[in-house]
Amino acid sequence: MAGPSTPNAIEVEHLSKTYGTTAAIEDVVFTVKPGEIVGFLGPNGAGKTTTMRILTGYLPATSGTARIAGFDVHTQSMEVRKRIGYLPELPPLYPGMTVTEYLFFVARIKGVRRSDRAAAVQRSIQACGLEEKTETLIRKLSKGYRQRVGLAQAIVHDPPVIILDEPTVGLDPRQIIEVRNLIKGLAGDRTIILSTHILPEASMICDRVTIINQGRVVATDTPENLMSQMVGGTQYTLEVNHWQDLLAPKIENISGVQQLEVESIESPDERQQLQVTCTPESEPGNTIARTLIQWGVAIHEMRRTRPSLEDVFLELTTQEEPISEFEAGPPSSEPDQSERLGPESPHADADKPKVQDPVIAAASAASNPAEPPDAQPLEPTSEAVINSTQNAGEASA
Amino acid sequence: MILLANIVAIFRKELQGYFGSPWAYVVAGVFWLLSGAVFFLVLLGESGIIQEVLYNESLGLPLPPVDMPYVFLLRFLGVLGSITLFVMPLLSMGLYAEERKAHTLELLATSPLTNWTVAIGKLLGVVTFYITLLVPVIILEIITFNAAVPPLPPRVPLVAHFGLILLATAVLSLGMFISSLTSSSIIAALATFVLVIFLTALDMLSRRLEQPFQDAIAHLSLLKHYENLVQGICDSSSIVVFVSYIVLGIFLTAQSIEAFRFERS
Repeated sequence: MAGPSTPNAIEVEHLSKTYGTTAAIEDVVFTVKPGEIVGFLGPNGAGKTTTMRILTGYLPATSGTARIAGFDVHTQSMEVRKRIGYLPELPPLYPGMTVTEYLFFVARIKGVRRSDRAAAVQRSIQACGLEEKTETLIRKLSKGYRQRVGLAQAIVHDPPVIILDEPTVGLDPRQIIEVRNLIKGLAGDRTIILSTHILPEASMICDRVTIINQGRVVATDTPENLMSQMVGGTQYTLEVNHWQDLLAPKIENISGVQQLEVESIESPDERQQLQVTCTPESEPGNTIARTLIQWGVAIHEMRRTRPSLEDVFLELTTQEEPISEFEAGPPSSEPDQSERLGPESPHADADKPKVQDPVIAAASAASNPAEPPDAQPLEPTSEAVINSTQNAGEASA
Repeated sequence: MILLANIVAIFRKELQGYFGSPWAYVVAGVFWLLSGAVFFLVLLGESGIIQEVLYNESLGLPLPPVDMPYVFLLRFLGVLGSITLFVMPLLSMGLYAEERKAHTLELLATSPLTNWTVAIGKLLGVVTFYITLLVPVIILEIITFNAAVPPLPPRVPLVAHFGLILLATAVLSLGMFISSLTSSSIIAALATFVLVIFLTALDMLSRRLEQPFQDAIAHLSLLKHYENLVQGICDSSSIVVFVSYIVLGIFLTAQSIEAFRFERS
């Protein structure tokens, strides 16, 4: 019998699952070390739930193996089941039971010994903040509380490996924060794998993130590494006028600047938008501004954007169809893109021009020439905004 | 040992479910109403046993002495068997359909339990609920039989009720399998009714067919074996047939739950 000699809590090797002719997941490989919190990130339908169901032994894989604590999920299913706590996408609750009755039942079928049961139930009730609802029928609980009961169910037998399928879905923002804190509080010697399509959530909770798309793992790393490696460094977005193309080399020569893109914006005073991409860990913003002012360019707005996990995610999951949102075109070319991302994503609302986001506002203004020009919003919202009223004429020789 | 603990855990959960659900009380009410009415009619009604005997006596016909308690037991349990057949689908319909609806099969399937354990625990739970339904009816019978002179030997009603419980268990076991095929309780109940009608038809058929088909079908007919047990004929072959039906139901249930996991996408 394969003992827990292997150091990995979860080991997935070349896992594939096909339904008929469609492949739900293909050749998925990843490992999770004990005590790690790993986020499983991907758009809806990417195969997150399928992978998790295979890990729990609920679904058999078409090929490949998965091991939990050294036990094969298929051939040693009972050993695996003893060691996992699982919260499915829809919490498995009996509406006619009270919270305590339900947790006692789960403790019983998970094999918690009679003498430990009351303590185990009490502990999970406390961990999930259910003290006030212990005698309430599950039928009468709100969605947030049901989700918490689902979590309590997953941890009542104190399993070394916890598998959570979209634990924060359908909760209101306050409940989401509570559940996230709860998950973070569970960490320690427990291994947690959770799936989500909400990106900030993964970067907030997880030690490592595995991005899955169309059934394949496209990246696995810490959120920080993913951000810095995949997207590169800081970007500055500027809105200027009196730009001259011969200034481009001057900006490009500033140390730390990698790339410069210039684009005209339709406006009465012929403004341009500059996109300056910088190398990682350099912040030449000050120098860029000073150089521009020195050469008589009027700066109306300057914004620093850092890569987010969303950028990584979009880059990795939309290779076939590059997103056109930021290319000043009509941003609705990929309507499902906004659905894939959680409500917390600023991209989610890209279809509707947001006043707070000058880039998108400018882009949509560019694609809607009918709009009155002075409606163009120029609210200074970003970290560094320099409004220059300087007369540019004298320095522009 | 662990197996037993798991069966008990499922069993307790099922019982808790029945005693906490308004639907179970409705079923109990209907069952008690019907069985109480039948009890009254068979014993005291216009065409009941007492009236019949009185009528025969008034005609002064030379009749063999009637064993009243025994005749009553035969008639009453005959009807009670039919009531049971038609009430059981209402008890078995939710066994798995409700689990499927509440997505709790995923919990059971990822807990250290086998499908057999779950099926046996559930069947025990629902049979126990059925036995509780019988308790008031049995109390009525005890009162009646105590008044009988000469008293009925206790073995006869014991075997008869054992047969009744076996009949109910067999139907519940098959009903459980039907319930495991769907997530709609209504469909499960209807399909189980169809099964019950089929079983009844099988019994009628066995009375009309020629040999050797008659024997073959009669041997498979649950109602035929029930009849034997009610008469106090405790034939081991009858018990084997009942147990086979029960095991078949549990086996099919375990298989269908296993297959359910493979099929779902």
